Amino acid sequence: MRRVWAIAVNTIKQALRMKIAVVFIILLVILLPMMGIFTTGDGTPKGRLQTFVSYSLSLTSLLLSLLTIIVVVYSLTNDIKQHQIYTIVTKPVHRFQILLGKLLGVILLDFVLLVLFLSMIYFITVYTPRYIGATDEQINSLNKEFYTARASLKPVPVDVSRDVQRAFKELVKRRQVGPVLLEDKQARQNLIEELAQSKELATRSAGPGQQLIWEFNNVKFTSDDPNEEIFVRYKCEVSVKPSDNRVAGRWTVGDYREQKLGLRAKTPIWHKSRWDTIRTFHELEVPADVVAEDGYVAVGYVNLPQYNNTTIVFPKKDGIEILYKADDFTENYVRASILILFRLIFLAGLGVFASTFLSLPTAVLFCLVVLVTGTISGFIFESFDTLSENTEMIYRFTIKPLVKLLPQFDKINPSNFLVPARLLSWSLLARVAAVMIFIKGLLLFLLGVLIFNRREVAKIIV
Amino acid sequence: MRAGFFRRTGIFVRRFVMEYVIETFSLTKIFSDWWGRNKVCAVEDLNLKIRKNEVFGLLGPNGSGKTTTIKLLLRLLYPTRGRAIVLGGDSCEPKISARIGFLPEESYLYRYLSARETLDFYGRLFSLSAKVRKMRIEALLDMVGLRAAANRPVGTFSKGMARRIGLAQALINDPDLLILDEPTTGLDPIGTRQIKDLVLTLAKRGKTILLCSHLLADVEDVCDRIAILYGGKIQIEGKVKELLLQSNKTQITTGVMSEDTLEKVKELIEAEQTNYSVDTPMEKLETFFVETVIDAQSRALSTSGAVSTTQIGEFLSAEAGDGKAASILDKLVSKKEVEEAAVSEGAASEAVTSADESREKVDEQLLSKLSRPVEPAELKPVTEAPDLEQEPQEQEQIEKNILEQLTGDDLNTEEDDKRQAEEQQGESTDA
Repeated sequence: MRRVWAIAVNTIKQALRMKIAVVFIILLVILLPMMGIFTTGDGTPKGRLQTFVSYSLSLTSLLLSLLTIIVVVYSLTNDIKQHQIYTIVTKPVHRFQILLGKLLGVILLDFVLLVLFLSMIYFITVYTPRYIGATDEQINSLNKEFYTARASLKPVPVDVSRDVQRAFKELVKRRQVGPVLLEDKQARQNLIEELAQSKELATRSAGPGQQLIWEFNNVKFTSDDPNEEIFVRYKCEVSVKPSDNRVAGRWTVGDYREQKLGLRAKTPIWHKSRWDTIRTFHELEVPADVVAEDGYVAVGYVNLPQYNNTTIVFPKKDGIEILYKADDFTENYVRASILILFRLIFLAGLGVFASTFLSLPTAVLFCLVVLVTGTISGFIFESFDTLSENTEMIYRFTIKPLVKLLPQFDKINPSNFLVPARLLSWSLLARVAAVMIFIKGLLLFLLGVLIFNRREVAKIIV
Repeated sequence: MRAGFFRRTGIFVRRFVMEYVIETFSLTKIFSDWWGRNKVCAVEDLNLKIRKNEVFGLLGPNGSGKTTTIKLLLRLLYPTRGRAIVLGGDSCEPKISARIGFLPEESYLYRYLSARETLDFYGRLFSLSAKVRKMRIEALLDMVGLRAAANRPVGTFSKGMARRIGLAQALINDPDLLILDEPTTGLDPIGTRQIKDLVLTLAKRGKTILLCSHLLADVEDVCDRIAILYGGKIQIEGKVKELLLQSNKTQITTGVMSEDTLEKVKELIEAEQTNYSVDTPMEKLETFFVETVIDAQSRALSTSGAVSTTQIGEFLSAEAGDGKAASILDKLVSKKEVEEAAVSEGAASEAVTSADESREKVDEQLLSKLSRPVEPAELKPVTEAPDLEQEPQEQEQIEKNILEQLTGDDLNTEEDDKRQAEEQQGESTDA
């Protein structure tokens, strides 16, 4: 361990004294406060903070990713190219200890820099309302919607299979489905799928005067604050676009099970009618006592026919969810920082792996390709999923598994959690650590050790 | 089967530890190209045996496979065929590499570390405790004469200074086996001289040294045995003294003689009926250079470069049974320390000098000059010249023979050797 430590310390010294790290440090030290001062967002304090957090975290994470790749790759390839490795492998050091030392060195450097820069961002974020002189009301709203960590719940999915069966039987009974179609297995399958889709759409779309109900289980609060609130976050689309892009609806939140039985609910029912701009996220603030003791709550929506003449559809992916405070901003911020550290650790392992058999420029390029592909993995999947009808088989067995092997950095981008003040749970963090570091990262590192052990470090000179 | 059994049980291996420090069995390294076709055979069927406490010189022209051999020994390259056993095992086992000191052909150091940090880094790689590390680093910095430059980044060092740090790093673990690849390249003559003295001193302390060089003078001065490589094969191997000795000659060196005495001596020699020649001996350029620099040093001219010292790191342990053989260097060090009222590092023991007395006298005089502040030009050393120093003509002749051997198409066989020896004899009697 002493040997690994010596190599780690040497790697850090190299990064600092060869001025690789210094460039990045200076850049961040200048840019972060500047961003804090000049970011305005949409003009509101919340928008300003969201923009600042999003941009500063992305910038820090990107620059430190580049730093990690360059430091670890430079350190190892340079040792081999400049032959310092001769004087190291001939000492009583196992080769894996050399790689481990480099890895540890760059992770330590990352850790220190991450703590430094993320503290800067944290203090700028916390002091911004005071700096811009936000009003009490604004601060109150920030505390509810930004300086918090809210867990998110999706509605219980509605099972439409029975409806589909019934509809299919109905069609057969009415002889709208011919015997030819019944025998053709593929055609029958297509029809059932079509029916399923339309039934599913029906569960989230409301024509004028129709009502939609979503049910949620397991809403858990961490505090007993009487002023606690839950937030219904939603976005809607329409079939016919109204002239002012707004639709009117009546929202109801409460224990729907009691109503179904015709009983009076034990918990209060909350109502509100309002205008909503389409294709924009909105949040309803609802007192938390509407939630039943067992964590059940239902949300109802009525398309008000006197104002609207269109069907209102809530998107499948992010149409509706319930948010509630589950943790504090600081804790969430710390976890988001750890998420960045995980990404850096993975990249360090990747860099070690690449530099055991590639030269400096090639290894850096390789790591950058992985970083970029990981960062836009969602985009890659989306574009191929839609574009690859003809080449689906090829795509499914080549690019898709390859990209799946890489970590999907965009899915675990800390901004995704901090900007909408969503809870980044320890369990998610543990899952990311397990998959990204202990499976993918470790595999890469071990592969690197294997290659490096078999490699002749001396250049071939005759 | 049997050999395998012994190897497994370790009996086989222990035998090597007793007998040879380095032993190779048909060591072969073939570099192949991208398609796997053999391109260059850098080392071929090398069977090298280096005994304990031997200074072994690996000679050869550029590209003859010296460095490749060393890289194979140290597992920087993997052999295509054959096996190398170093200190009874594989040199990449930490237990064994902890006993090896290695100076590569160039001092590959981290430019951004200072001299002291460099040594500290390598000390840590050997897991030396902080106390031992500190002690050794200071001793080594003194020894290589870089104490004044200890906190400067190694990147700002001249080649010779970098070489000195490289040497210091090779000694930080007090190695039993020291492998030096071209140790004197880039060093000034005094540095070269110091390295040679150091090698002799270390050998006296029981270390085994493998020296690889194409500077013949260096090898000749320090090596017990040499092997000459050409085309990856050993062309000749043997004791330096035996290889170079001209048993049919006697050399007498004296102070300046009067004409009368000279005539008398001539008469005596003529009575023996042998050919002879009378010359005033030339000083070796090395000795001359060293004396000039000592003179300059004594006049306290300043320099930003390395300062010559003669100290040797006391931690470079002597072997248990070899304790008495403390070198002149040690004596010098302890004497100096007494003078400086420093803590005595234990009484220096009497030098036991039998085998190579004449050489040591030369050493003593040169080195004492280096360490003593002022001592004006004194008499030239009047000693019996060491065995190895021959008249220039003869040396040329030998070199010529070796060259012929090297360039000759045939591999040299025993017959060749005999023939050459005969030729040599004939020629020298002619002269």
